[in-house]
Amino acid sequence: MFDHLVRFRRHFRKFLEAIVLVLMTVLALVVVLGIVFRKAGASLVWYDEVASIILVWLTYYGAGLAALDRAHIGFPTLVASTKGTLRLALVVFREAVVVGFLVLAAWAGWRVLQVLDTTYLVSLPSVSAQVTQSVIPIGAVLFIVAELLALVPPSGETETGHKAGPPG
Amino acid sequence: MILLAMFLALFALILIDVPIAIALGVAAALAIALTAGFDSLPNVALLLYDGARNFSLIAIPLFILAGAIMNASGISRRLIAFASALLGFVRGGLSMVTIGASLFFAEISGSAVADVAAMGSILIPAMKSKGYPKSFAAAVTSSSSTLAIVIPPSVPMILYAVMSGSSVVELFVAGIVPGLLGGVSLMGMAYFISVRHGFPIEEVFEMRRVWRTFREAAWALTLPVIILGGIFGGWVTATEGAGLAVVASILIGTVIYRELDLTRLRVAMIEGARQTAVVMWLVATSALVSEVLTTMQVPQRIAQGILDFTQNPLAIMALLNLFFLAVGLFLHSAAAIILVVPIVMPLVQAAGIDPVHFGLVVTLNLGIGQQTPPVASVLVTACSIAKADIWEVTKVNVYFIGVLLGVLLLVSYVPAVPMALVNLFYR
Repeated sequence: MFDHLVRFRRHFRKFLEAIVLVLMTVLALVVVLGIVFRKAGASLVWYDEVASIILVWLTYYGAGLAALDRAHIGFPTLVASTKGTLRLALVVFREAVVVGFLVLAAWAGWRVLQVLDTTYLVSLPSVSAQVTQSVIPIGAVLFIVAELLALVPPSGETETGHKAGPPG
Repeated sequence: MILLAMFLALFALILIDVPIAIALGVAAALAIALTAGFDSLPNVALLLYDGARNFSLIAIPLFILAGAIMNASGISRRLIAFASALLGFVRGGLSMVTIGASLFFAEISGSAVADVAAMGSILIPAMKSKGYPKSFAAAVTSSSSTLAIVIPPSVPMILYAVMSGSSVVELFVAGIVPGLLGGVSLMGMAYFISVRHGFPIEEVFEMRRVWRTFREAAWALTLPVIILGGIFGGWVTATEGAGLAVVASILIGTVIYRELDLTRLRVAMIEGARQTAVVMWLVATSALVSEVLTTMQVPQRIAQGILDFTQNPLAIMALLNLFFLAVGLFLHSAAAIILVVPIVMPLVQAAGIDPVHFGLVVTLNLGIGQQTPPVASVLVTACSIAKADIWEVTKVNVYFIGVLLGVLLLVSYVPAVPMALVNLFYR
């Protein structure tokens, strides 16, 4: 059972890494294309809208990856100073709060998708807003899975990157 | 009452280590449900989506990525070699090299944590092997890394610009003089400590060596200057400049330095994405809090309350400085900017303080916050590299924190220090 979880976590990490790699590449390409076309006097009408949407996607797919590595900014000092049952209770409560909020975000995102069936992007009228907004419920579910998988003790699996901590 | 419940919930959740982004979301969702009813909760999804959909913030992942790629291309080593040739002849040479290299790296990286990780992993072991105490090595590396968020480009400044509605370009320009001033002042303090403790000179000054190391580091040094020049000159926007920085860093890493392969590029991109997501989740959930605060006109009420107490801009600046120093003790800089700046901006404007000037004050305050436990992301990274106790390092770091406080006072009360270049070129 434990081996299955560790293997699943490894595949899940690869899956999220692949998504953010694609999004990061596309974001850089779109921005560079935007500059080239603007300087050529033929600005891309979809540039601002599409680049902003990619940033949203990078945020919510990347958040799952950050959750898997426990990289989100927190204040661990107090919980780290507790022991035994109190610590266990605090950790369980913390996880319940995190998962509870993400369930709310997934549900709210799903409700929003249902009313967006006739809404399309301004600059790309063939693309439904349902596609772009789907990142909220999908991202929330991925975050929940990552949050729960992060509870599985590490077993030699290495994360990609030096994990220098959040920027700032 | 609802507002009090929101802030109490937020405070309690942060204390039990709920990620700050989630704590913001939970507290705000609670307030939204209590004020507008449970039927309004689907709005949470819309606010989360719109909160992250800000075009100006695209510069953040791109500058983070450019810095990560440059670092993966062996840039740190070259910058350190150049700084060593330039400053290594001074007493306490390696500490001078650390501060000098941090100044150079700051123009590539927008993050002090990235700076301390890149510089510290090379320079702290080098200082320890030359007999410098590990607490001094960690302290000087940690405090000089703070310059990365003052000298452009700067991730906290981009966040501040979005949260306050200020110009990113003007903030970047305003950071140049305080950043250089901070670097020179830290060098002065490092020299004083080095003379007192007899720390060694690193190497004899040789013009030939300076030229050779400069040629090796030239691309890394001049390209950011060209890109920032493009931004300052209005040729490209900050976001476009960040995009060009990514392309340029890939070209330098692969074609010129030939140290960047696909594996390193992949690692840099994943790291960049992860760091971006951490900051952007905070931005997104802060949109929920902003909605509540705006609806209840909280920032305006706080501003009025303080203005009833005093209308003296100097006193208000002092209050804001103390507030941000206190906030910096407990919050990461990104979280502090996202959470606090929208609340205090009406007060700043009512007191007649220029938002760009205040941006530098906030950045320096939070830079000092990165050095002061319990929450001190940069100091903790330096201590972990040096394998030194955080409180032992802090005993040495107080001297450098004192220097940074001096720069903060100067920036706060002599507006010309950050604003002279802005006024000269943009107003």
